[in-house]
Amino acid sequence: MPEELVRMDRINKFFGRVQALNDVTLSVNRNEIVGLLGDNGAGKSTLIKILSGALPADSGDIFVHGNRVKIRNTTDAMALGIETIYQDSALISQLSIARNLFLGREPLKSPRFFDRLDQDTMNEVARKLLKQVGIKKEIPPTTPISALSGGERQAVAIARAMHFESELIILDEPTNNLGVEETQGVLRFVRGARDSGHSCILIAHNIYHVFQVVDRIIVLRRGKTVADDIDPKRTTIEAVESIITGMPISA
Amino acid sequence: MLLVVEIAAFSLRSPAFLSAGNISNLLAFTPELGMITLGMTLLMTAGEFDLSVGSVFGFAPIIMWTLYNTHIAPLEVGFVVALLFAVIVGLANGWFVTYLKIPSFLVTLGMLLVVRGIALYVTDGFPQRTWTADAPLMKIVVGEFAIGDLYIYASLLWFILFAIILGYVLTESKAGNWIQAAGGNPEAARARGVRVTYTKIALFILTAVLSAYAGITSSIRVSAANPNSGTGYELEVIAMVVIGGTALTGGRGTIIGTVIGVLILRTMRNGIVLIGVPGLAYNIFVGGIILAMMALHSWLERRHHAGT
Repeated sequence: MPEELVRMDRINKFFGRVQALNDVTLSVNRNEIVGLLGDNGAGKSTLIKILSGALPADSGDIFVHGNRVKIRNTTDAMALGIETIYQDSALISQLSIARNLFLGREPLKSPRFFDRLDQDTMNEVARKLLKQVGIKKEIPPTTPISALSGGERQAVAIARAMHFESELIILDEPTNNLGVEETQGVLRFVRGARDSGHSCILIAHNIYHVFQVVDRIIVLRRGKTVADDIDPKRTTIEAVESIITGMPISA
Repeated sequence: MLLVVEIAAFSLRSPAFLSAGNISNLLAFTPELGMITLGMTLLMTAGEFDLSVGSVFGFAPIIMWTLYNTHIAPLEVGFVVALLFAVIVGLANGWFVTYLKIPSFLVTLGMLLVVRGIALYVTDGFPQRTWTADAPLMKIVVGEFAIGDLYIYASLLWFILFAIILGYVLTESKAGNWIQAAGGNPEAARARGVRVTYTKIALFILTAVLSAYAGITSSIRVSAANPNSGTGYELEVIAMVVIGGTALTGGRGTIIGTVIGVLILRTMRNGIVLIGVPGLAYNIFVGGIILAMMALHSWLERRHHAGT
């Protein structure tokens, strides 16, 4: 029996009179990569925002390691080891790579005169992390994010999640706006994350990408879970597509 | 660079420019505007700005001297009350901007009028006497001393000290990281646990307090607290900060750049008068420099992006 890491239990969310999520239950095990699929408006983003603390749920419980937790904001989620990487990476383009990596959790150096940053450590760790996530180019950690390509930015965001030992990394459309090679890079990170003991939730429009890396697929349709145990090795892309749209496989 | 060219040009045109008397003169007034620009640099790096600095500059010394002249409180207490008043102004600015989400342009424009209005109302438009006082506090703030022919005010030393501390805070400290993040991408910064609201309010307070301190410095030096002093400073201060390379949109700024910006504009004002250009033409040059700097920035930016 695999160990359960995170469980969202019967989550409901209304926007006005529209029910965005209807008793949705989702669980992720340790070292598991879950693909979350669904059409536009199916509730994927809403569900993820609740888990990452960006939106409150109207009802339902969240358990981490079997303990019931309250996630009121993104800081709470990060403290529980849940890290979300959004489409736009949520990096500060004016700041350097190292400063972005440690933003909000800066290492300090004594004497603490006005909370002095330990910039040597920051740059050192940043340099190592960039290598780990597969950036082969020699990029100094003091480079501002604005000088990086889309794939390199994703890599920095992923490096950040890995460094702070997030147990669960949520990737929301990480391959949008990326070139072919950069996309392969991101997918490689996701596989690597499992090997280094992280769990992932991968949200993507592109089913092919999801099929390449995940262990299990969950499908949402109109705010309901319609499938939560699809093994990508034992099904076809067409079959999953028909579950997403709710229409039988057309001829 | 520009500063060096400027100084060289003025020195050649007018021998008086490099005279001890003139330099003393230049260094007497520069720290007062300079202190405001330091706070403004941090505030603008965090993506906000403050138009009420000139009013606070004018009103803070009035509080101090009115309390003193009416024998309500000793000078030191008046000094503290004036700075506390600045804290309240900064807090109010910050609260309106962060909690009510009103653009800082509108909030601080309103505050500019309110504070200036109070200053005029309280004093009936008349300056407050300051020459009757002789307190050690005044020596500490602006006491003057001579190095050879050069007269130096203590305010210059305070300005240098503040500049070093704030420059350090901006580039070396955690607070500096937060300031830049708050201006660069507030949503992303908040998502990382940066207390953006707190950072911005603290900077509004810092800017107001530095403006008040600068106003008090000025009132002691010129021996008068005029309710109209500081009028128009807000734009001059912002011009200095922008010339120093701080982005008007936030996220990027340096203290050393601002100090250079202050010196460029102050030497320019001083120099063009000495070489015989009418002082009234000063604004033409300031405006011209700002436009030229902005053009240069955008050109560098575009060249930078073309390269990546």
